[in-house]
Amino acid sequence: MRTYSPKPGEIERRWHVIDAADVVLGRLATHAATLLRGKHKPVFAPHVDTGDFVIIVNAGKVALTGNKRHTKVAYRHSGYPGGLKQIGYDELLTKRPERAVELAVKGMLPHNRLGRKLIRKLKVYPGAEHPHAAQQPVPYEIKQIAQ
Amino acid sequence: MARVKRAINAQKKRRTVLETASGYRGQRSRLYRKAKEQVLHSMQYAYRDRRDRKGDFRQLWITRINAGARANGLTYNRLIQGLRLAGVEVDRKILADLAVTDATAFAALVQVARAAVAGAGPTAEAA
Repeated sequence: MRTYSPKPGEIERRWHVIDAADVVLGRLATHAATLLRGKHKPVFAPHVDTGDFVIIVNAGKVALTGNKRHTKVAYRHSGYPGGLKQIGYDELLTKRPERAVELAVKGMLPHNRLGRKLIRKLKVYPGAEHPHAAQQPVPYEIKQIAQ
Repeated sequence: MARVKRAINAQKKRRTVLETASGYRGQRSRLYRKAKEQVLHSMQYAYRDRRDRKGDFRQLWITRINAGARANGLTYNRLIQGLRLAGVEVDRKILADLAVTDATAFAALVQVARAAVAGAGPTAEAA
């Protein structure tokens, strides 16, 4: 008997919508990463994208524990000498909350070509609205809520 | 003693190595010295990875069983515990295949495990 290996055409993809309001950022990201990779499906394979699409709404209301809202810093580099930019999460969460969520999920996906493909199935929106009603996304519930 | 000239054998040796190295990247498929070193390594990797493959597949089966078990409300850990208690000897390879191809049979096995875990006492409550 051969172990099943999914072909690119036969993967069934669903759409999930996650409400990020009052959910801790890292806990939100683990759920999103699991769905994007497809590790919740028995047909999972590490070399193929078997995952679903994930919509995250209310990214602006995501929670950070402890003092991280004031101490955690996101870095990026322009490539030029002295080109290291940094932005505190306090500012990032007000200006571009979707970026904060994307960064957290990206860090939990494989850092390779497949991971870069997986991240494209993640759609993050700062508010409660999303333009993917036509895909009929199913609400995905996260039980643990920040205090 | 007869004199040995190496031309034919040396050529043959180099040809075999270069043929084995065909498809390798850059100089490693074209220059004998680079190709020889890479072929030696490649054969070691292949030997090692034939053994690693057994573990790789077991890992994949466990991931798939876990996905199937969680869809039925049990973690992998509890499922295996329950199956052992119930004396079910279906191995991971078959369990993973059932999870993919025959969801109802897999769900039935999860039920067996759940009953066995619940019957084992309060220290082993179902997750």
